[in-house]
Amino acid sequence: MQQVLALLPLTSFFVPPFLSFTVEDLRYMFSFIVYLAVAVLTASLAGRLRQQLEVVKQREITTNSLYALSRQMTAVTDLHTLLGNIVRQVSLTLGAPAAIYLPNAQGELQVTSSSEDSDSIAWGEGEAEVAIAKWVYKHGEIAGRGSSSLRESSGLYVPLRTEDQTHGVLAVNLESSDLQEQREELRLLEACGGLAASAIARVKLAEEARLAQVTAESERIRTALLDSVSHELRTPLTAIIGSATGLLENDSLFTPEDRKELTGNIRDGALRMNRLVTNLLGMVKLESGMLQLRRKWCDVGDMIGIVLTQVQQFIQHRRIRVELPDQPPFVSGDEVLLEQVLVNVISNAIKYSPEDSEIVITVKVDERHGRMTIVVADSGVGIPEAERERVFEKFYRSESSRHVTGTGLGLAICRGIVEVHGGTITAEPNPGGGTRVCICLPTEEPEASFPYMGQGEEE
Amino acid sequence: MTAPQGARILIVDDEPQIRKLLKVTLQAHQFEIHECADGEEAVIQASIVHPDLIVLDLGLPGMSGMDVLQRIREWSQVPVIVLTAKEREEDKIAALDGGADDYVTKPFGMGELVARIRVALRHVAKTTDEPVLRFGSLTIDLAQRQVDLDGSPVKLTPTEYEMLKVLATHAGKIITQRQLLQQVWGGHHHESDSHYLRVYVGHLRKKLQEDPTRPRFIQTEPGIGYRFLLQD
Repeated sequence: MQQVLALLPLTSFFVPPFLSFTVEDLRYMFSFIVYLAVAVLTASLAGRLRQQLEVVKQREITTNSLYALSRQMTAVTDLHTLLGNIVRQVSLTLGAPAAIYLPNAQGELQVTSSSEDSDSIAWGEGEAEVAIAKWVYKHGEIAGRGSSSLRESSGLYVPLRTEDQTHGVLAVNLESSDLQEQREELRLLEACGGLAASAIARVKLAEEARLAQVTAESERIRTALLDSVSHELRTPLTAIIGSATGLLENDSLFTPEDRKELTGNIRDGALRMNRLVTNLLGMVKLESGMLQLRRKWCDVGDMIGIVLTQVQQFIQHRRIRVELPDQPPFVSGDEVLLEQVLVNVISNAIKYSPEDSEIVITVKVDERHGRMTIVVADSGVGIPEAERERVFEKFYRSESSRHVTGTGLGLAICRGIVEVHGGTITAEPNPGGGTRVCICLPTEEPEASFPYMGQGEEE
Repeated sequence: MTAPQGARILIVDDEPQIRKLLKVTLQAHQFEIHECADGEEAVIQASIVHPDLIVLDLGLPGMSGMDVLQRIREWSQVPVIVLTAKEREEDKIAALDGGADDYVTKPFGMGELVARIRVALRHVAKTTDEPVLRFGSLTIDLAQRQVDLDGSPVKLTPTEYEMLKVLATHAGKIITQRQLLQQVWGGHHHESDSHYLRVYVGHLRKKLQEDPTRPRFIQTEPGIGYRFLLQD
């Protein structure tokens, strides 16, 4: 029609007689026909081009939304958020309510995610919709509008399938009835369904892997705990019971020295048990999140002094040298816990170093970075490189130090406590042989309004 | 005043094993022992037997150790040493602020407990209006407000002097952070003010030529307060 209209000005203005639709020369009729044919041809080409453009635009939207969806899905590991994202994206792209059905713990299919507010009854929760979803879930085939089965339904249901399994159903409430559009929507839904299915499978597998790991880990810890507790508790208990019964039953046989030896034995065994119990309780506190920091300003020099008096009883001929800066720093932390860290680290230095060796405790302040490091260096056996990280794991005991008693809990507790304080604890080789444990803690200036100078006039 | 030897001690603990341990050991140290297993009885016994010292377990069933302490403090200044399980710093502080004289942590060494008992008993016996306190090479003349170390005077600020005085007049006894803040600065104090103490104690230690890692006079009781060490 347009092409015919376009012919009219040509006949009236350019073909004689002018301003008339009459054609004098028959040759012009031939021109008209050629002209008309070309016009019809180009118009149809243009039309088709425009149509293709529409399709391409539609595909772009589809691709974009699929791209957005896939990008979101790789980032999210929580199944619920993931499904929420998928439903929202699908609903946004198609401008229609969407829902995802997954089987619950009893294997019953139900809506797990819906694009609509939870206040109103969301689309997809009706009996008919659930029934169709169940059929789709069971047969693993697409159903609903635009597909080959159950066309009269307003929704379109896509199974979420990976190769061997149907995980659930994705459904959209479609309004359009245009066949072309439906085909596009179907393609998009199928693609989304595929993405969602693989994402669900991924999350499920990750969850299974995590569970397996947790089970294996708790199994390992339980074995380690039983081993270490039975050994570490039984040994001192045996010493205590043995010495005590000996004293009770054969008192007359012993010389005063023997008696002293046996009672000393009882004390040492009990002290060792007490250390074990303290560490076990500490671990339980750390693990259960019961550990609450009572932050105060702690004088590091003072803290080291307290720790040295605590380790005094098992220091056994080792020399301890302390190198403090002129202005020992203050750290904000829980002094009791930080002291426990130092006691554990220094006890280790004593335990794993030979008699008459020197243990050096150095405090360094890095004011520029606001951190302070306490280094405890011994000249003992040292830790092989491969184990420098692992010694901080629970119940980990180095093969090379099996002969020294211990549970492998001390350093794990240290790391827990230091990390709660926002610091780090590492083990590295001591240049002169042995091990250096570095405890790095953030320092801050105590509040500026400190009134020392104000009241500190000299008498 | 009763001399430390032969002093009458009331033991309050619900664990028979611990009571037995305390009784046997303290009797071996020539103390006269009375014992009871619960709080109500402890209050009654305290008023009947008039002990010279009470060893009080904080974790009693029924009436708690803290309540017992409070009831006794209503009418008596008898020295009280509390026994606690180590985990609870706040319990120790509450007990000390509530009038206890010292604490011993379970598990404890018998020697430590006996030493604490001696200090507490001696403290009662000691007259507090003694004008000059001597601790080894350190002399504190309360009348002159003069502190000498190794024969030469030590220059202290008024606050530092007050702190030293409070600690030294309670030598051997633990002074909680709150008690120290109250007695030196007066008024009410928040727990967060405790870092004043750390800084002042740091300065005081420097002037008394103390190595903070090997204190000679002022010992820090972690999380609780300070103790002026008795020189032997």
